[in-house]
Amino acid sequence: MAEGEKKRPINRLKTMYPLRALVDGMYERAVEAGQEGKPVAWCMVNWWGGDAILRAMEVAAVYPEDYGAVCAAFGAAPAYLAQADSDGFPSHMCGYARNCLGYAARMKELGAIPPEAPMGGMPKPTLLLSSGYFCDTRYKWFQALGRYLDAPVWVLEMPHPGVKESRLEGVREHNIKFLVAELREFIAFLEWLLDRKMDWDKLAEIIDDTIEMNRVWYEVNELRKARPCPMHSRDFWSSMPASLYMAADPKVTTGLYRQMYEEVKSMVANHRGAIGEEKYRLAFAELPPWHSLKFFDQLAERGWNFVIESWAYHPPKPIDLSQVSDPLERVANLTYQYFSGYFEDAYNTGDWWGYFAHPYLELVQEYQCDGIVLHPLLTCRTATNHLMVVQDQLMSKLKVPSLVIEGDIVDLNLFDPAEALRKAETFEETMSHYRQVRKEAGMAW
Amino acid sequence: MVMSEMETGLDRARAIYQDRTRRARELKAEGKQVIGYFDIYPVLEMLTALDLVPYRILGDMNEPITKADACLPTVVCPFIRSVMDLGLKGRYDFLDGVVMAHGCEVAEKTAHIWRTYLNPAYAHFIDTPHTTHTAALEQHKELLKDFKKTLEAFAGKELTLEKLRQAIEVHNEQRLLVRELYDLRKPDPPLISGTETLQVLVALASLPVTEGNELLRQVIRQAHERRDGPRIQPARLLLWGSIIDNTAIIDLIESLGANVVMDDTSLGSRAYFPLVEQTGDPLDGLANRYLVALKSPRTFRETVLTKTKRKDYLADLENRFSYLKDYAQEWKVNGVILEVLRYCDIHGYEVPGLKDYLDHIDLPSIYLEHDYSQAALAQLRTRVQAFLEVIG
Ligand code: SF4
Ligand code: SF4
Repeated sequence: MAEGEKKRPINRLKTMYPLRALVDGMYERAVEAGQEGKPVAWCMVNWWGGDAILRAMEVAAVYPEDYGAVCAAFGAAPAYLAQADSDGFPSHMCGYARNCLGYAARMKELGAIPPEAPMGGMPKPTLLLSSGYFCDTRYKWFQALGRYLDAPVWVLEMPHPGVKESRLEGVREHNIKFLVAELREFIAFLEWLLDRKMDWDKLAEIIDDTIEMNRVWYEVNELRKARPCPMHSRDFWSSMPASLYMAADPKVTTGLYRQMYEEVKSMVANHRGAIGEEKYRLAFAELPPWHSLKFFDQLAERGWNFVIESWAYHPPKPIDLSQVSDPLERVANLTYQYFSGYFEDAYNTGDWWGYFAHPYLELVQEYQCDGIVLHPLLTCRTATNHLMVVQDQLMSKLKVPSLVIEGDIVDLNLFDPAEALRKAETFEETMSHYRQVRKEAGMAW
Repeated sequence: MVMSEMETGLDRARAIYQDRTRRARELKAEGKQVIGYFDIYPVLEMLTALDLVPYRILGDMNEPITKADACLPTVVCPFIRSVMDLGLKGRYDFLDGVVMAHGCEVAEKTAHIWRTYLNPAYAHFIDTPHTTHTAALEQHKELLKDFKKTLEAFAGKELTLEKLRQAIEVHNEQRLLVRELYDLRKPDPPLISGTETLQVLVALASLPVTEGNELLRQVIRQAHERRDGPRIQPARLLLWGSIIDNTAIIDLIESLGANVVMDDTSLGSRAYFPLVEQTGDPLDGLANRYLVALKSPRTFRETVLTKTKRKDYLADLENRFSYLKDYAQEWKVNGVILEVLRYCDIHGYEVPGLKDYLDHIDLPSIYLEHDYSQAALAQLRTRVQAFLEVIG
């Protein structure tokens, strides 16, 4: 907490700290569960369906993707990466995955949680819950863990229709049906694996709480459209894992997001921004360099406020689910909405990449950004594939320039903060120039 | 004179390999509609049934990437970057449309990029699921129904069950002929080299299926009759991994004293070996073949022991890779090359596990990574040489 008390270039939200602490608690609870012989799952982010099911079945969950960021931030990642490299995993593959493979190798060697593991480590899992969403790594990595762990893997399927295909008659229905059937198959598998029955009432309650949690979190982020923006991306990144990873009871998390909503709302009312003087409003594309977050403080001192970031880490645009009675169908709709919530607008503007690429066009306009920082990651295709398209489209359609800073989520050797800062200085002129261009073109910001 | 009347057999395959758009352009000039596709997941029978010519979109290792940087970053599969680059340079401007599938993540993303930048008159994306779960198979069938709808609208005619059954038959015929082609590689020396085989495969990916079948018959006949086939070499290799659409890597290996006698890549056996079962509703057979029967690491499979409810590593490896053991026995393979394109996650994650499996069955293997360029291949020479010395 000492971090919050010091005068810093970025005014951190007070309500962020308890949300961040939920994630610390998640690791503690999982280790305790492991010690007590209770089931533990290592999970990929699965956009709530799988999480709700695990919680209702009283399976403690930890998220190796988050743990990759934790290991990067605590400096533990290099040793795990080196272990994965020496075990023959090609080094161009996902930093989170290689961190986890190295961690699992070490855990197998020791027969216990490695003593140096940050946050108390991840306990030996009973199962691995993977996801077919967005990236091949997310299931290939868990499959590859079979080298070190005897935990079975379950892959939750999630559909990825194209923008145009998503509009064909019956497509939404069969995708939702697929999602629901997948969740049911997963429940049947868990019941068999754990020898226990699903508590359906409990599941329904968790799902409703999850929907509400996402709604409140969405409203918090809507407030960031204000000028000056009251909440910096750093607060977003600190607060996001609580919902993205379902780090705690969603009722508790919702309560904390409500408190955050109140804090941010009062800042907006008092015209208080996240940084001293907001000279430039920026978006950040994809995962940040977790090991070098201080870089954002240096930019804040120059008047750069990061007001919005990757669509992929944000909750879905709220939809009315009151008419959907089956809880699994409710959560399936939430997940589908997360994925396809921008599709209609994308279709109407003739964009064929309704997720990853198109949402930036909307966000940059709505949050009135002067520029965007694109962070291509050497080891993550998912966070990088679309960045050139985003750069091209933002310039051609909105006259918003991009600053490309290469790096990685885990491997700090791939990110050069001094070079990045030099690039940033010259980018200020570019942003000012395009502000003028947009003004002359009669654009709103 | 059109290409089809000029050469036969291996000469024809080589000619098409060297200029693979020529025949497609001829067909186009004759009024045929040509539909491009990526990877092995688009269901080609549905194109053939509507008299559309399927044409596989491949890269070109010899063409420097100059245009794709504008829309694809450097940290993705260099093959796909090459494909996109060729698209932007107009190499595939004769295509009337494209059908893409969720073969791998980068291919899926590139489907959207292709559509954005090249704006084809017809485009359809099949979101092939990732598992063989019951729900995934049902979803796949639904996806094929969606595909049928847009395809019929584009072709302006109905895709009848009868036409689909006939198309399945002719594609299955091709698959059986490819098996025969691969049988030519079983003797020692093989009757056809790895390089020649790849030329035939590239040609097949560039021709209407019936013409491909005719070419296969000619090649098989010729291989049996000729006297100047490959010579016996100490190493008989299986090549596993990311796509290989250029003979350079096989030339390199075969020039060092080996015969590449078998492969498991997406232009080779992987694309052809499984047949489509003729089912009451043909879409059932197709959905099953393209999701379940095709053996690519992009489809997740898993073994959990019923008794212990735990995963057993070796049993899992056996489940995923035992077909390679069968290949090794049938084709008398004494070494395996694991070839992975840089940034190909699908194959990259398999490497340590597959190596463990090959060690377990006493088959020596070597891992080669490259970036789809001639320069990168040259650097692999000494490693291949050292490997051949070990197994030779
Ligand atoms: S999205 Fe990127 S960081 Fe996440 S698992 Fe996939 S490759 Fe790794
Ligand atoms: S080589 Fe790998 S990354 Fe490239 S298209 Fe094939 S499966 Fe995808």
